[in-house]
Amino acid sequence: MTEYEVELVWEGAEKADREANIATREDETVLEAAERADLGLPFGCRIGHCGSCTGRLLTGDLEHARRPLALKDRHLDDGYVLLCIAEPRADCRIRVGVDVQRELVSNPWK
Amino acid sequence: MSDTESPSEASAHEHHEHHHDVEGPGYATPQAAVEQSEREKVAYVMSLYVGTDVDAPDFLAVVDVDPESDTYAEVIDRVEMPNVGDELHHFGWNACSSSCHVEGLERRHLIVPGNRSSRLHVVDTKNRENPEMVKTIEPEEVHDHDLSAPHTVHCIPDGEILVSMLGDADGDLPGGFLELNDDFEVVGRWDAPGDIEKNYDFWYQPRQNVMVSSEWAAPKVYQPGFDMADVEAGNYGHQLHFWDWENREVVQTVDLGEEGMIPLEVRFLHTPESTHGFVNAALSSNIFHFWEDRESGEYRAEKVVDFEAREHPDWDMPVPALPTDILLSMDDRYLFGGNWLHGELYMYDVSDPKNPRRADTLSVGGLFGDVQELGGRDIVGGPQMIQLSLDGERLYWTTSLYSTWDNTFFPEEAEKGSVMLKADVNPRKGTMTLDEEFMVDFGEMPNGPARAHEMRWPDGDCTSDVWQ
Ligand code: FES
Repeated sequence: MTEYEVELVWEGAEKADREANIATREDETVLEAAERADLGLPFGCRIGHCGSCTGRLLTGDLEHARRPLALKDRHLDDGYVLLCIAEPRADCRIRVGVDVQRELVSNPWK
Repeated sequence: MSDTESPSEASAHEHHEHHHDVEGPGYATPQAAVEQSEREKVAYVMSLYVGTDVDAPDFLAVVDVDPESDTYAEVIDRVEMPNVGDELHHFGWNACSSSCHVEGLERRHLIVPGNRSSRLHVVDTKNRENPEMVKTIEPEEVHDHDLSAPHTVHCIPDGEILVSMLGDADGDLPGGFLELNDDFEVVGRWDAPGDIEKNYDFWYQPRQNVMVSSEWAAPKVYQPGFDMADVEAGNYGHQLHFWDWENREVVQTVDLGEEGMIPLEVRFLHTPESTHGFVNAALSSNIFHFWEDRESGEYRAEKVVDFEAREHPDWDMPVPALPTDILLSMDDRYLFGGNWLHGELYMYDVSDPKNPRRADTLSVGGLFGDVQELGGRDIVGGPQMIQLSLDGERLYWTTSLYSTWDNTFFPEEAEKGSVMLKADVNPRKGTMTLDEEFMVDFGEMPNGPARAHEMRWPDGDCTSDVWQ
């Protein structure tokens, strides 16, 4: 059974940096592996349309198991990933936490 | 009834066919709701942690609004959802005045959807102060009908429940409607798939055999946050759909155009005689009046209120008002609403619905509100969801719109939590006064600061009750 090491990194403006290591099993999403390890990552729809679970892939490789509808091309090009449907294909380092989601859009009038 | 006949004249016609010897839920007429209702004692409020650092489930808050009580203006109970991440948003009753002829039916169960999760919760309010979660419908069962992202809940006559759904099973378009039976089981899809693309709120007026629905956007568009690229790509709605209520099909679509971007809350007048209503176009900062032209039998819509954008020293572009919620008083005389970005509540006399007359405004919260602090804490965000007492004398509001949109426009809401505030309304004079003694601080919840969204009263309210 293929297992990949995934390093989760929380870097928020407000909170101290934190890291955790988890391992994903075959066909397991990062969110599922994190839940198995009792780590609370944000999520909403769990099928790729709401963006609550957005993370940013720093190194490694993963595949979305279904269409990542919450992300636009510009987000995908910047390495944003949806952890509810993202299955690692190599060891990964991923920035996680609610702050990542907030980077997807900005105030157009300010 | 002529197009401009006033609601009080209309209700004088009184040719409805209720059997008053039968005890169903609600009130026989809107006027009966005004006259016979008791003052609200508790409010149910959607409260949430989505988009904050707090890893806890959203909850239904029970707020004490009885001034005689020792716990006045406090959250006295919280019904936690079984999962995190739902994004509680709008919710509704299993029964309202539209079933007031149905013996044995009670206004007792709240249907509480998770807008992100597509999970539906049923809460029993038999004990009004300590309601109880009795059932959940899991997302898979909703997806089975190629629907997601539940929004507005209206009971429909005889105990059935209709929920507007903003997306298909993937969170893309088209949306539609989900029907539940009186045992809170999914009956199936109410509409023909593809009859509409975008969906949001709806209201029905059974005596006129009409339902109206409005448009936000696909879940994949609005859920990740507000992105101007989506406006430019035409991904946001600007249409109203008028349905044949009996036949469940769209008979007319009215395009509101550039001035009608993101039409949200649709409110028919309460009097069942009327075919007049209003909708707030949030992004264009306008309010539209819609009505049936009696000669052609077609619906028309016309902009009747226009809120100007305002310059703010810290913003590059003029700030739009963003009127995100409106409601009509039970006697159909006043339209209330809030400009969320500006920080303003407004009250219009709509006795002549074609010509709303501004009665009063209140400047509070948001970017320009005169009042920015109450009871020693900052008010973050302008008035957002509003709710009026049945007698029309107390207007309450909360300050959170939607987690991702809050995070873009009022990011402090995540750290400080929302507030619920109140104004005293004088319907005779057409005035509102901020009640400085009333503040419910959702920043002080056991798990951490929470957002607060829609509110409902146990005995029905101006945003849910419909008459046959
Ligand atoms: S949880 Fe909704 S996109 Fe992942």
